Amino acid sequence: MQYTTDVRLIRLMCTGRVDPTMVAEAFIEGADGIMVVGCHFGDCHYISGNYQARVKMGLASRALGYVGLNAARVAFKQCSSAEGDRFVSHVTTFHDSICEIGPLGSAEKLPLPKLKDRVDTARAALASEKLRWVEGKFTEFQNNGNKYGEKFTEHEMWRTLDTIVIDEIATHGILKEMRKGAASVIELAERLEIAPPAALKYVLALQRRGLVGLAGVDGATPSYRLVERPAKAA
Amino acid sequence: MAEQIRIGVFVCNCGSNIAGYLDVKALAEYAKILPHVVFVRENLYTCSENGINEIKAAIKEQGLNRVVVASCTPRTHEPLFRGTCAEAGLNPYLFEMVNIRDQCSWVHMQEKEKGTTKAKDLIRMGVAKAALLKPQEPIQSEMDPRALVIGGGIAGMTAAMALGNRGYEVTLIEKSGELGGLLLKLDKLAPSGADAVAVARKQADLVRRHPNIHLLLSTHIDEVNGYIGHFQVSASTNGSKTQFGTGVIVVATGARVFRPAGLYGYDGEKVITQLELEEVFKSGAFAAKNVVMIQCVGARNDERKYCSRICCMVAIKNAIEIKEKSPETGVKVLYRDIQAYGTENEALLQRAKELGVIFIKYDPARPPRVEAGKVIVHHDLLGREIELPQDLVVLSTPLVAGEDNEAISKLLRVSLDANKFFLEGHVKLKPLDFATDGIYLCGNAHYPATVREAVSQALGAASRASIPLSKGVMSVEPIVSTLVDEDACRGCGLCVALCPYGALEIVRGEKGRKVRVIPVACKGCGICAATCYHHALSVNSYSDAQIGEQIRAFLEESA
Amino acid sequence: MRKKARYVNEDLCTGCGSCAEKCPTPAVDTFNTGIGQRKAIYKYFAQGIPSVFTIDAPSCRQLGQGKKCGVCAKTCQAKAIDFEQKDRMVEIEAGAIVMATGYDVFDPSVIPEYGYGRIKNVVTALEFERLLSASGPTAGHLDRPSELTLEKEIEETGKEVRKLSARIKQLEEKQGKTSDEVISQVKAGASDEPLVEWAKQAESLAEMQAALAAMNRKMAAATTAKKLAFIQCVGSRDFRFNRYCSSYCCMHSVKEAMIANEHDREVHSSIFCMDLRAVGRGFEEYKLRGGQQANIEYIRGRVAEITEDEAKNPVVWFESTTERHVKSEVFDMVVLAAACVPSAGTARLAQLAGVELDTNGFVKTDPLMPLATTRPGIFVCGCAQGPMDIPESVAQASSAAACAAEAVIGAQITLKATA
Repeated sequence: MQYTTDVRLIRLMCTGRVDPTMVAEAFIEGADGIMVVGCHFGDCHYISGNYQARVKMGLASRALGYVGLNAARVAFKQCSSAEGDRFVSHVTTFHDSICEIGPLGSAEKLPLPKLKDRVDTARAALASEKLRWVEGKFTEFQNNGNKYGEKFTEHEMWRTLDTIVIDEIATHGILKEMRKGAASVIELAERLEIAPPAALKYVLALQRRGLVGLAGVDGATPSYRLVERPAKAA
Repeated sequence: MAEQIRIGVFVCNCGSNIAGYLDVKALAEYAKILPHVVFVRENLYTCSENGINEIKAAIKEQGLNRVVVASCTPRTHEPLFRGTCAEAGLNPYLFEMVNIRDQCSWVHMQEKEKGTTKAKDLIRMGVAKAALLKPQEPIQSEMDPRALVIGGGIAGMTAAMALGNRGYEVTLIEKSGELGGLLLKLDKLAPSGADAVAVARKQADLVRRHPNIHLLLSTHIDEVNGYIGHFQVSASTNGSKTQFGTGVIVVATGARVFRPAGLYGYDGEKVITQLELEEVFKSGAFAAKNVVMIQCVGARNDERKYCSRICCMVAIKNAIEIKEKSPETGVKVLYRDIQAYGTENEALLQRAKELGVIFIKYDPARPPRVEAGKVIVHHDLLGREIELPQDLVVLSTPLVAGEDNEAISKLLRVSLDANKFFLEGHVKLKPLDFATDGIYLCGNAHYPATVREAVSQALGAASRASIPLSKGVMSVEPIVSTLVDEDACRGCGLCVALCPYGALEIVRGEKGRKVRVIPVACKGCGICAATCYHHALSVNSYSDAQIGEQIRAFLEESA
Repeated sequence: MRKKARYVNEDLCTGCGSCAEKCPTPAVDTFNTGIGQRKAIYKYFAQGIPSVFTIDAPSCRQLGQGKKCGVCAKTCQAKAIDFEQKDRMVEIEAGAIVMATGYDVFDPSVIPEYGYGRIKNVVTALEFERLLSASGPTAGHLDRPSELTLEKEIEETGKEVRKLSARIKQLEEKQGKTSDEVISQVKAGASDEPLVEWAKQAESLAEMQAALAAMNRKMAAATTAKKLAFIQCVGSRDFRFNRYCSSYCCMHSVKEAMIANEHDREVHSSIFCMDLRAVGRGFEEYKLRGGQQANIEYIRGRVAEITEDEAKNPVVWFESTTERHVKSEVFDMVVLAAACVPSAGTARLAQLAGVELDTNGFVKTDPLMPLATTRPGIFVCGCAQGPMDIPESVAQASSAAACAAEAVIGAQITLKATA
């Protein structure tokens, strides 16, 4: 029973402990791939931790995929403490696939600093409140339904999460750009590689939340800036 | 002033298990240059008496305030090394273990150089985490030595008696005005042939006379708060409210018999249920000449997929009783699978066959039809329909979950299965415990059970409940969730909703709604910490900072 | 009580396993139901507790065969090997006893018509379980026992062929002629003793090589088992052997069929049963799922006989109750759900403990006092009392503990005079 020496292990009590932002952080630090391994479904030592982890890791993989990272760099696998061979097979398969993808940045065809900057945007998105609620309620909505008793399929849940992920990534991207200074919607759209109407929608939403304000009008083009907020938010 | 961190690293050879495949000398040399490391020692076996003594000596002589052992697996050896630290006066949670055997030397036997590099990384990661470790104190909580049993059927009475006999004060709550539950409606019990009502009454009498059992009949539970060792219960008896505390709760709320309205011409007179047949037996009015019993009525179908486990045995028992009372009466049992599992049940099935009870298998796709004076069923072996004369049809219906199960599951914050029966903590290993500590289950509340099984489960649930009761003080490993940033918490309650153990609650305090961790109920899975978007919660010894530091330490050299 | 010597000091052994790695003596792996091998110094199975090794004395070169060895003692750096260890007598005083001595698996070879032991690809459910296990002898692949045997034969024949061809090659080099020449010389009438012997050996080598090639072809053509038959009630609900139902076998057959299909989606299983007893929480649903999603077919009927065809495939003969005639079907493997029988020591232990057994040989209990044996203070749980599944055994273990606790530390209770 032998496997690659390229892997390093971090011990956790339960896969449910893995915050999706940790995954993003590991890529920012330079990891080429991250695999989370826990109990088989239905056999979680902590009852439901692996179901939570399934959604969290799926989400991390998708969010990182949207910002240009190869989504196959994130894996979530199951094996029991008695299945050494299975663990080896997971590690070996994952290692092979990472070798095929290549080092961070090469498969993504992006310079590392740029990729990491984008991963950082995904990290901020993964920390957002809305995503956390939907991701937390994923299994419950699937199995027992929401408080009106409506059940959702796996597909519907992921579609909902996908929409939120895209919104959050764009929103956090805009906030990050604005930290560099005031900008117009057109400039933001160009820098974030999104359509100007979409950018406008996000900027206006941010304005409604009081996070962004009008900085000035240059000719016919308004530019926006971050609103300074009191140190202690409500 | 921040304390100066002094880390000692012990690298184990594990005989040749590690030293045979990794360059242990290089590892020890490497550990010396890591931040905060002030002492490094290589041992043949760190877990041997020599190794242990070296750790103790180094803690004292070198003033170590963190210990890292790079050796085998924490699964077997972490408790030993933690204990060693404690004996030397160092808080045991300032210890970190690095696995360079199972996860390194053993799986890289042919790659000494690369394996050694990996082991260096693992040690660097462990040291990085160790620097951030914080001392923890075991969590202790007083146990209220009283017990609450919900449900006064045979299971509840048995559990209450077992706990009372051990000397614990027990409150037994029954919603009806009488003890005995389902047994009161039955005639005889199989295989003992005992009179069910007599069995129930005898047990009820013992319960009533038991000095340690406080009986509350006609009582409903309104509210349950708290956690293992500290439950607060509000109940009302005919409108008057009572409140009391308890350390543990046993759920023995039983189940109901399904009424087959609209099935097979059920009318309660000529087409009756097995339960109604038992009433007929008890009243002495049984006079039928041709009885046809139909199994799985309202069970194992699309609406109710489960097999109710006991109905075949009820039918066999009643068929035997008919044959014993009135040998000339014809009894035919139409079944799908005869669930006479085990030794006693199979013997009863054989006894029924010997007495002349005829068993005919039917296909659910071609169910029997009940008509005036006859039942028509397709006989597989004959390959055609046959007519069975009848002057009484008895339907075997499943047990269905108690009507209060949903309410009780909400009160206790425990789970139900798809059929609304109470769901145990682990299907194989914890059949009598709920996932939430301090709450146990037995009897039909869990799943249909025979009296033998219900009694056995009740004794078992009492046994499980007596474990914390007997301790007086609960002591729990402090690897639990902690509210590390109270200001960040906005009391949204997402973590409370996701906690599998009911170990979190929202309380209103001076600063508004905030989460509170119930450490004795927490198991440290960390779902809450991984979910809180304000990072208000963290897990002791597995904090965001500690895990993040391990990630950074891993990648710092390759970056 | 006798505590048997394990020839390893439990306090010193670290469970590292160096000894087993270096031990030169192979032995039959009893945990893997005899499929595969382990060493003479061994741990029964990887997760066993305590994690301490044991020497299987009869298999050990030094202890069992009186030869000089001691490799393990030399390897062990913890100095845990102790060849001098002796069995010890242990005396314990107890206020209550819990019997939890389990069960044995019925030996299906006493049913000649099922061919167990004679037909290689007929196995017991427990043997099948080891084949399915990822940590078992085939790493979870459904290699058939006939192929596992063939593999061993190929290995042995290969060894023989290599030995013989080396010898012949040596002769050829030494004598400077080819074996073919020698054979034709002998055929031509040469009666020189060494030459005749040489020719004989060369011919038998050719034969062996041909046999080896045939075996290799067979091996190359072999696939893992895809078509499985599970036979229920083997030795249970059978008046010749045990009248009772063994309770758990229906579910373990469904489970094994499910896992086999999970491992290889092409696997199809036929479960032959009288009744399929799926009586626990979620069992019926599980059984249905097996039928819908895991290629499992439930066939009502008792199997009359199992024969074997030329390709070592078991052939199952049964009466189809729905089609009403006798049929036969060829399978890759047959799994026998062998009955749960009282463990070999139960009768002796019952005698020592002074408790009665029931007519089946399990420990007798009262349906209303399900853990109590016929002797006060002695309790029984699990399959020692009768066949039952894991959750029930675990629940009963707690119950037995409650009974024992009450017997030992129960409070003095004086009942109130009236209710």
